[in-house]
Amino acid sequence: RAGGGPVEWAEWSRLCDGHGPLAVGHCHPLVVQAAHEQNQVLNTNSRYLHDNIVDYAQRLSETLPEELCVFYFLNSGSEANDLALRLARQYTGHQDVVVLDHAYHGHLSSLIDISPYKFRDLDGQKEWVHVAPLPDTYRGLYREDHPSPAAAYASEVERVVRSAQERGRKIAAFFAESLPSVGGQIVPPAGYFSQVAGHIRRAGGLFVADEIQVGFGRVGTHFWAFQLQGQDFVPDIVTMGKSIGNGHPIACVATTQAVAKAFEATGVEYFNTFGGSPVSCAVGLAVLDVLEKEQLQAHATCVGRFLMELLRQQKAKHAIIGDIRGAGLFIGVDLIKDKATRTPATEEADYLVSRLKENHILLSTDGPGRNVLKFKPPMCFSLDNAQYLVAKLDAILTDRSQAITQHT
Amino acid sequence: MCELYCKSDTLALRGKHIGPSCKVFFAADPIKIVRAQRQYMYDEKGEQYLDCINNVAHVGHCHPEVVKAALRQMELLNTNSRFLHDNIVEYAKRLAATLPERLSVCYFTNSGSEANDLALRLARQFRGHQDVITLDHAYHGHLSSLIEISPYKFQKGKDVKKEFVHVAPTPDTYRGEYRECHADPASAYANEVKKIIEEAHKRGRKIAAFIAESMQSCGGQIIPPAGYFQKVAAYVHEAGGVFIADEVQVGFGRVGKHFWSFQMHGEDFVPDIVTMGKPMGNGHPMACVVTTREIAEAFSNSGMEYFNTYGGNPVSCAVGLAVLDVIESEDLQGNAMRVGNYLTELLNKQKAKHTLIGNIRGIGLFIGIDLVTDHEKRTPATAEAQHIIYKMKEKGVLLSADGPHRNVLKIKPPMCFTEEDAKFMVDQLDEILTVLEETVGAQAESVIPANTARRAKVPKGAQVELLDNSTTDPRENPSRKRNGLCADTHSPLSKRLKT
Repeated sequence: RAGGGPVEWAEWSRLCDGHGPLAVGHCHPLVVQAAHEQNQVLNTNSRYLHDNIVDYAQRLSETLPEELCVFYFLNSGSEANDLALRLARQYTGHQDVVVLDHAYHGHLSSLIDISPYKFRDLDGQKEWVHVAPLPDTYRGLYREDHPSPAAAYASEVERVVRSAQERGRKIAAFFAESLPSVGGQIVPPAGYFSQVAGHIRRAGGLFVADEIQVGFGRVGTHFWAFQLQGQDFVPDIVTMGKSIGNGHPIACVATTQAVAKAFEATGVEYFNTFGGSPVSCAVGLAVLDVLEKEQLQAHATCVGRFLMELLRQQKAKHAIIGDIRGAGLFIGVDLIKDKATRTPATEEADYLVSRLKENHILLSTDGPGRNVLKFKPPMCFSLDNAQYLVAKLDAILTDRSQAITQHT
Repeated sequence: MCELYCKSDTLALRGKHIGPSCKVFFAADPIKIVRAQRQYMYDEKGEQYLDCINNVAHVGHCHPEVVKAALRQMELLNTNSRFLHDNIVEYAKRLAATLPERLSVCYFTNSGSEANDLALRLARQFRGHQDVITLDHAYHGHLSSLIEISPYKFQKGKDVKKEFVHVAPTPDTYRGEYRECHADPASAYANEVKKIIEEAHKRGRKIAAFIAESMQSCGGQIIPPAGYFQKVAAYVHEAGGVFIADEVQVGFGRVGKHFWSFQMHGEDFVPDIVTMGKPMGNGHPMACVVTTREIAEAFSNSGMEYFNTYGGNPVSCAVGLAVLDVIESEDLQGNAMRVGNYLTELLNKQKAKHTLIGNIRGIGLFIGIDLVTDHEKRTPATAEAQHIIYKMKEKGVLLSADGPHRNVLKIKPPMCFTEEDAKFMVDQLDEILTVLEETVGAQAESVIPANTARRAKVPKGAQVELLDNSTTDPRENPSRKRNGLCADTHSPLSKRLKT
């Protein structure tokens, strides 16, 4: 069972869900009501005209830059990213894709191929896939002490593109999670996306921003995480999923008219059986309504800042915490064995997650070193929840370091 | 029922914000559906339509039991499959109980496309082979990996066939290479698959899978001849490949006599992987892959986790369970058999009456009416099919036309379809066919080639009528209705939609 309402709803345990697709809180009554009402009236496919799909598309378009005004509705982030690939290839006439190291874009065959997080352990890298370094200013090539990490990382992308072109290959797209999640809750440095977009577009490719994990107001200051990179940066394609339906299987691709027209020019219809159904769109609309009514975006900014502050205090106290990074309610706590080497504290992170579970707090880890505690709770996460969580974390870390001191 | 936008605004907004590749039914005169119950749909004016297209409302639009089950679970919990929960295991158990024993391991996804993509991954991981044999005119989904194995799509888009894809002739005994008069079409068609495997082996290629819709739907309601699947499976297994039965369109009791269409081929035929989708959740996005323990273990031996964010969530499973319950409690399988037989009988009578009907084929509530302009040559009556579906729509019956030539009227209604519905549908069709045949003078004894007759009789102005978006109701003008034949086979109407 789950209840996402006020603290007094929690009974014998408080679930601080550290991961999952939810935006507005488990079983939000307004979202449930919207789904139920529509389920009773009509749930059919998008080959019939219906108000919900057009209304939803219009509402989504209002959250995005003007150019991104054409929508395709689907059922999962994976389906969305696969369609984004198809759109980019059709538009550019090119095949190759540039991705970031440790990226994860979905479980479909086409997406395993562009997810280093997966293909490194499976079929290996395909010749049409090119991997650029993750713009990780804590553990990557260019760190916080570098004068301009954004330019440095962007020039890595340029290098990768040039190397591909020298081998006669042509770039269709650059794919990146707006905030790489599986890669360890990474916040790319400001200016990185614009510069990368410049390199990619000069090579004839498109910029695909994967907002599946991080869209819908999670970062607090903006509705979409790519907007953290500045108003002058507009991707060519945006994919969204997970939190979009508060658990209902929905996803979406937003793109420009030019890209949409090129896709139509193939003459092949795109039909997604369940995508854009009246119920899915009613749910999507309800989620947007709740985000607005309950001011969850502002809430994410506020609680996010508070949580980051509490965590920074913990960082000052516990040497195991190497870095705190994030935006809004997307936060990563990077655990290390050694401040100088920044070696990932993998086992310790695992231990911490188990101890937290014993205390009825659910968290998971991410990053190639499985050492980054990943905070991405429902947007109704409260200041109380944040305080409680950090207090428990503190207690466990304190316990642990005392135990270690006693043994040494 | 209040609309948010009037129909023309809805259409305009759609043009503005929805990808233009996403087509609407009846492009010349789209329908706005606002409500549906059981097998009936209602437009914004309250006009009722008998839904013979369906697609996913398997147990009937907005079935109260299914709606209730979804509500109950949505209020309680909707999270992902990384937590233990009873619904997913209960549902897997119930599904497995409908299948042969060796098909016991389930992977839950959200769409038939996701299911087929996973089926391909499972097949390839199993022995490390790559190649896939698919049938001509097949359609397995819209994902990159599936366009590659769907001639229905890649031929249209003029994509080059990939070298790891091999296309076998569709086992169509009406219009294919080996027809109903052939001594043993099952062996003949299966032999084509054998030849493909031999060719592939000569080039050092290895077969991962043979994939086929248990009954081709977009390909024109094709029912493979008995014995075909067994023989193909034998050849494929010998080559180290697996047999994938795509039940996305045709599972869950639609054929009446059996729960799964592949079961029509006999108890000795068991696919290695079965994919299901569409009707599974009565409209709720859900799908599934079921396979053997052996294949599942080979997949997990890669060490890579398979996680589908929404697949197998408690709400989807609650909905799936409710659909299974309704199929059982309302004896929908029995209904499909009874009503399907009755409908087929009525249609066969129509076939005897109307020369436009070349073939009636189907089983249970999966029926195709193959329209032809020439019985001997079996020339597809594409334009006529388009005309008929628009006319049927005017009469309150929703039908679509499928097949590579868009000439097969496809009947696949919700499983609660009644004999009265069948009679109503056939009566309307009878009327339309009669008028059509009178108009074009296509009598059973006619010696004039159909094309010539058509050109001679239909005034040029009438061709424009169907493409006109005006709101004139032809019902008010019988003479216009009589002349409303779209003879232009290259019009956008002929780019028919697949369901």
